[in-house]
Amino acid sequence: MPMPKGYKKETGYGSSKTLGGLSYHDIAKTMNDLNYKMNHSTARNVFVSGLMKIAENLTLSHGERYDKTKIKKIAIDPRFQEAVAEFMREIEYEKSQTFNK
Amino acid sequence: MTGVENYIKRMSKNSLLTKQQEIELAKKIEKGDIQAKKLMIESNLRLAFSIAKKYSRHGFDIEDLIQEANLGLIKAVERYDWRKGFKFSTYACWWIKQAATKHITNNSTSVKIPTHLLGYARKVYQAQRDYIETFKQEPEPEEIADILGMSLKDVKEAFNVITAKKTVSIDKSIADENSRSILDILPDPSQSPDTALYDKEIKQEIVKAFKNLSKREELILRLRFGITDTLNKEDYELKQGEE
Repeated sequence: MPMPKGYKKETGYGSSKTLGGLSYHDIAKTMNDLNYKMNHSTARNVFVSGLMKIAENLTLSHGERYDKTKIKKIAIDPRFQEAVAEFMREIEYEKSQTFNK
Repeated sequence: MTGVENYIKRMSKNSLLTKQQEIELAKKIEKGDIQAKKLMIESNLRLAFSIAKKYSRHGFDIEDLIQEANLGLIKAVERYDWRKGFKFSTYACWWIKQAATKHITNNSTSVKIPTHLLGYARKVYQAQRDYIETFKQEPEPEEIADILGMSLKDVKEAFNVITAKKTVSIDKSIADENSRSILDILPDPSQSPDTALYDKEIKQEIVKAFKNLSKREELILRLRFGITDTLNKEDYELKQGEE
């Protein structure tokens, strides 16, 4: 008997390679070194919750109010994650340029 | 009375628009109302003039600059999207400045160089200077291409532009010693005023959203995105009794 078909994500997931940082396992290790007790799943959950806050802020600023499910869908979309990473890098770069002036 | 004085006199007869009036006009313009477009342009001629006047200090003819600034204004009127919530003047000044700087860059050298190449030259020149400052030697084009993520062909073309422009140094001040250099006014081709404004808005929202994140969330986002250069470990270390 075939198994029921589950939800298939069309865009895949963001990976540490595409995002330019650490894997969830390595993040958990680093966080433990900084006295935050967590495993890789918690690291992923905290990462998604942080991105959900950013997604909510951005959608609200565009006059859209979405429920948590929709916000989470945006937050876990690798395209959104890559865009936020890119913007964060630019913000850091601009900050460092201002600081160097 | 000179032509410019006449123009100023006629221009000052147009009253300024309120934000509400701007939105109403923008809606009409979207529907193709020519009169609304004309009114929007005429009401903002003073803005274009004030920006053009600033650039005339660089030794360019004020009448030409007004004409270019007005073309920028027309472009802004055609592309203004009232739904984004910006005041028209905020949006239009990007287009007006772009039109004025384009006019200046196109007319500041004896050799005509396409604007996008001048933009590349600006980037390459900046990277070249930073490289020399850090490593005390001239970089190879391949190294600059690597740093900027540009193709080798574009970098080589940019080097040619820099060499051509050295007849008039890219660092040369436009008017007096304290004014801006040619390098300062070269437009960056990578972003249109639309995108620049939109990006700025998103960045502000991201910075705002970051303030709502807990230390733990911010740290994990930074680690995941590999943005840890400015991280100070002590600031993020969890002290006893926290959280």
